[in-house]
Amino acid sequence: MVTKARDREARRGSGSSGASGSGAKGDSPGKQIERLGLEQEDLTRILYFLKLCRYFDERMETLYRQGKLPGAIYSGRGQEGTHVGVAFALRKEDSLFPTHRDLSAQLTKGLELKRVMAQYWGRIDGYTRGRDGNSHVGDWADARTFTAISHLPIAYPVACGAALAYKHRGEPRVALAICGDGATSNGRWHEALNMSALHDLPVVWVVNNNLWAYSTPNTQEIPVETIAQRGAAYGMPGVRVDGANVLDVFEAATVAVERARKGEGPSLIESVSLRWRGHAGHDPAKYVPKEMLEDYMQNKDPVKRFQDLLQKEGVVDDGAVAELESRIKKEFDQGYEFAQSSPLPDPGDVELGLWADDGYWDREASRNGGLS
Amino acid sequence: MATDDGSARGAEKTEKDASEAGAAGHGAEPRGKRSENGEATYLIAIAEALWEEMERDDRVFMLGEDIGVYGGAFKVTEGFIEKFGPERIMDTPICEETIVGTAVGAAMEGLRPIAEFQYADFMTSGFDELVTVAGKYHYRSGVRLPIVFRGPSGGGVRASNFHSNNPEPFFAHTPGLKVICPAFPTDAKGLLKSAVRDDNPCVFLEHKWIYRRIKEQVPTDPDFTVPIGKAEVKRDGGDLSIIAYGAMVHRALEAATELEDDGISVEVLDLRTVWPLDTEAILRTVERTSRAIVLYESHKAFGIGAEVSAVIAEEGFDLLDAPIVRLAPPNVPVPFSPALEDAYIPQVENIVEAVQKLSKW
Repeated sequence: MVTKARDREARRGSGSSGASGSGAKGDSPGKQIERLGLEQEDLTRILYFLKLCRYFDERMETLYRQGKLPGAIYSGRGQEGTHVGVAFALRKEDSLFPTHRDLSAQLTKGLELKRVMAQYWGRIDGYTRGRDGNSHVGDWADARTFTAISHLPIAYPVACGAALAYKHRGEPRVALAICGDGATSNGRWHEALNMSALHDLPVVWVVNNNLWAYSTPNTQEIPVETIAQRGAAYGMPGVRVDGANVLDVFEAATVAVERARKGEGPSLIESVSLRWRGHAGHDPAKYVPKEMLEDYMQNKDPVKRFQDLLQKEGVVDDGAVAELESRIKKEFDQGYEFAQSSPLPDPGDVELGLWADDGYWDREASRNGGLS
Repeated sequence: MATDDGSARGAEKTEKDASEAGAAGHGAEPRGKRSENGEATYLIAIAEALWEEMERDDRVFMLGEDIGVYGGAFKVTEGFIEKFGPERIMDTPICEETIVGTAVGAAMEGLRPIAEFQYADFMTSGFDELVTVAGKYHYRSGVRLPIVFRGPSGGGVRASNFHSNNPEPFFAHTPGLKVICPAFPTDAKGLLKSAVRDDNPCVFLEHKWIYRRIKEQVPTDPDFTVPIGKAEVKRDGGDLSIIAYGAMVHRALEAATELEDDGISVEVLDLRTVWPLDTEAILRTVERTSRAIVLYESHKAFGIGAEVSAVIAEEGFDLLDAPIVRLAPPNVPVPFSPALEDAYIPQVENIVEAVQKLSKW
């Protein structure tokens, strides 16, 4: 086992992603932007989400370490290119099935920052009304995201069902599900891919390969070269992209989403990055080699890379970046204040909300303009 | 093994013997229709409920293994694919977790799935999606999940360890799932229709021993339903109550008939739904007789009857003239040999003996 793992390590080249960069089609970033049809407004929005998610992640970790945040945090830092890239490829009516690592994808899909923060503090204005915490969040009524669950890849089969409904009704909608590299070892991952291919479901399977499943590296969990190649086993396209390049991720996701929307069936995308922080807030991630972390933080930072690119292409200048940063800080501070001032749930309601007809969720719907 | 159900509702056993080959489902003959006098078996009543609900509401669809052309392991859905097509009678690969997850996702998007398990035993293969997603999702999100998870449960048909289980305690213990275990064709039809119309995930356990053995006149009105969460007295009596569900109701009724000769009047309460539990009906029958036997086919320790007993002890202690008695299988797997299986599942003679003993207390 150890020998085989070493062999695989050698084949891959000491943990390097091996994914192709923005020259996937051999053209320059400028050409890629043009090919993707992205306007200045779109590009600025992508940068906004990348920076928002990074900022949120960092500030929340600080609050966690200061003991000011109850519960847990699951950092998505370093993986924002994957999260924003795939979520930006979806329409409002498409659905997203994320994990607790993928809050950045949920924010890009439309979750309100202040309600997410109320969720972290267990407040009534959080999306789960204090019935769940941290990034175990979702908003089906508006943003069309699944309320994340810890057991992975538990939402993969659920995405099959949403996609099935779109197919039954002939709606041009797509379900996109995310899980990590670790979850690809679970039976459900394979069940769901198999089911989706058999029934030509309009679904996109995204694997956020952040190289570590908690403390276990790719080499000890995946006996094949790439996760993307596993698509072949289910007769679907499988592509591997560099998660440091948000536009590469966006392009791959757009191709897969449009394929699904046209009724041509599912696709698999493996987006490679590094999880910069531990599995959760308590984990110092000492198992990640220092050089590897430094390499990713210095050379493969999806946020910095995209910001540099936009500045180089003249899409944003220093002033625009500063404006984005001050807007993000303000939104965070306002979100924090909102969360602190939102009431805690009524302890007398602990048994309510379980059954569809107990009236609890209908009563609470008025708080935020309606839940389905 | 029971030889006569003695039901006060006029239900009759068919001529099939419990140990007959094919009784466990595989290789059994087509489901057929109602008999000439209009009676329906439990299996036909279930098929009618599914058929009628699919006709009534085009959001309803079924998914499961071999439910299409083959018509299901027990032939419940025979003929359905011709009428409703392969999209609404969806054959799936063997992937219970994904069957459950697909049902959840489709329900989130407004469909009303009915997922069939070939045997309720295989629900453990889909356990995580059932317990961790389906049961908890509404409490966490307010999103409704109108789903029915059907599976044939129970023993007494010589089907051994993996085709005879009663998984209802797993699901009754899980918040957010309704658990329905009918004993009669009429209740099965009415409760299944209610489950399809319910906006919560429902686990509907069809006792396979009853499928082709019990038949009765079953309502044909397409809007006939039986409310979920309501028990029903199937036989009135004044001396002692037997609280049961599923196939055990038929054993209890048979025992009650035998005990008439001894001058003991037994009341039989059929829970019909095990969760939410009808505590009012349980306390009402105990109030009437002051003696209770809780008879159930799930394992004795931590089984459904353990909760029923606790409810009586906690809320009806003053009503009792004698200790509560539990009659249920020991906490071992369901064995195969007829000698062992009959020792495992409570038999009519065990019930008669327990009643005689308790009535002298």
